[in-house]
Amino acid sequence: MDIDDILAEALHVSAPQETLDLQELTRAWVAERVAPELLPYPDALMERVLTRIRRQIETVEEQTGNMDPKTNFKLIVIQTELERFKFLVRSFLRARVAKIDKYPLHVQQNSAEYLSPSESQYLTAHQNLLASHYQSSFLSQFPNSLQKLDDTQGGISMIDAPDPDTAVFCRALRDVGEINVVGTDRAFEMKRGDVRVVRWSAIREKVLAGDIELV
Amino acid sequence: MYGELGNKLVQHAKRTQSLAHLPPYQAEMVRAVTREVRDLEKDRASTLESLAGSFDPSTDPATACALLVNHLCQRRNKRCMLAYHRVRSDKLEEMCWSGIDVLERQQQAGKAGESAGSLGAEVGNMSSLSPEEEEYVRQYSDLLAAYKGQWTDIDLTGSLEPPRDLFIDVRVLKDAGEIQTEYGAITLTKNSQFYVRQGDVERLIAQGYLQKLS
Repeated sequence: MDIDDILAEALHVSAPQETLDLQELTRAWVAERVAPELLPYPDALMERVLTRIRRQIETVEEQTGNMDPKTNFKLIVIQTELERFKFLVRSFLRARVAKIDKYPLHVQQNSAEYLSPSESQYLTAHQNLLASHYQSSFLSQFPNSLQKLDDTQGGISMIDAPDPDTAVFCRALRDVGEINVVGTDRAFEMKRGDVRVVRWSAIREKVLAGDIELV
Repeated sequence: MYGELGNKLVQHAKRTQSLAHLPPYQAEMVRAVTREVRDLEKDRASTLESLAGSFDPSTDPATACALLVNHLCQRRNKRCMLAYHRVRSDKLEEMCWSGIDVLERQQQAGKAGESAGSLGAEVGNMSSLSPEEEEYVRQYSDLLAAYKGQWTDIDLTGSLEPPRDLFIDVRVLKDAGEIQTEYGAITLTKNSQFYVRQGDVERLIAQGYLQKLS
């Protein structure tokens, strides 16, 4: 641990929880939009953010009757903040849904634990819908051996998976040491604050651990 | 030739991707591909039957090859069909998300076609969705509504543009009647202009009643 870490820690303690949550939410939002695969659902964070949004909405509702210019101005500030928060959450959730819809079977098989309960509900229901749609449209008239939707035989897998070698921009949040790019003989060191373009597969673990953020 | 129809279907799908609306469902072609697959399956079955279980690919490469080609064609057709249907269902889902009532629009298009005269009557009755797709849209909208219902505060289908200002200028393109805002009711009459809260009119902008002025 060097002086930077100590400073960082001191800074962290001084910032209030609300600010940290905003930072965390923004980070999760950026990461979700950039990473090729689905990332874990930040349960506790979302819970806190949603409660706060609800509380702010209540505050706004309580005070709307008030015609005092001062509260009125405060209200506008609150509402602006509220709209921005809502946008963040909305965009975040939509990015997740887009990925879930794009790689439904892959998500179901490999990262089911990353889904929130309502997302996994949505995924299952959507898959059932699609399956019955295909079934009634044409698949039911096909020979039995060809009716599967998750066939991996015959050289072509029917399960679409995200490409782990997509390049992403990332920034190290602390010194992470040596990073080996799998499949090549490339290795490099990343220090706190370094920005790089790397294959997602090389830094995936570090991102999930919170040592590197995507930008 | 084997697979030719499948190819056509995929070309259709490719074209669909860049269109704003959904072109009519190629029921005839889908049926033809299905028939092809079933014919192939019958061929395969009869070939296998004539061999009666004792078959050595190395002594009879011709039959082995025929079987292989047959099988690959079936698989390819399946892929083409899936691709075609997937592109269409993706398109329908997109419409659901952006708040377009697909079924209603279909009915309107149908009515417009009917009233266009006797010539258009037959075309007008034809929906560009297959019955299965209509069912799919109905169920998907329900699913989406259920999922959205868990995020009432957020309004998932809202705008994905980052909000800049709380209030925006809008111009009314079509009469939209009266809306309630926290600052009282506003009557939206055509060609008038307002300075309103974005959250209050988002829906109306999406539906084309209002235009946002920058």
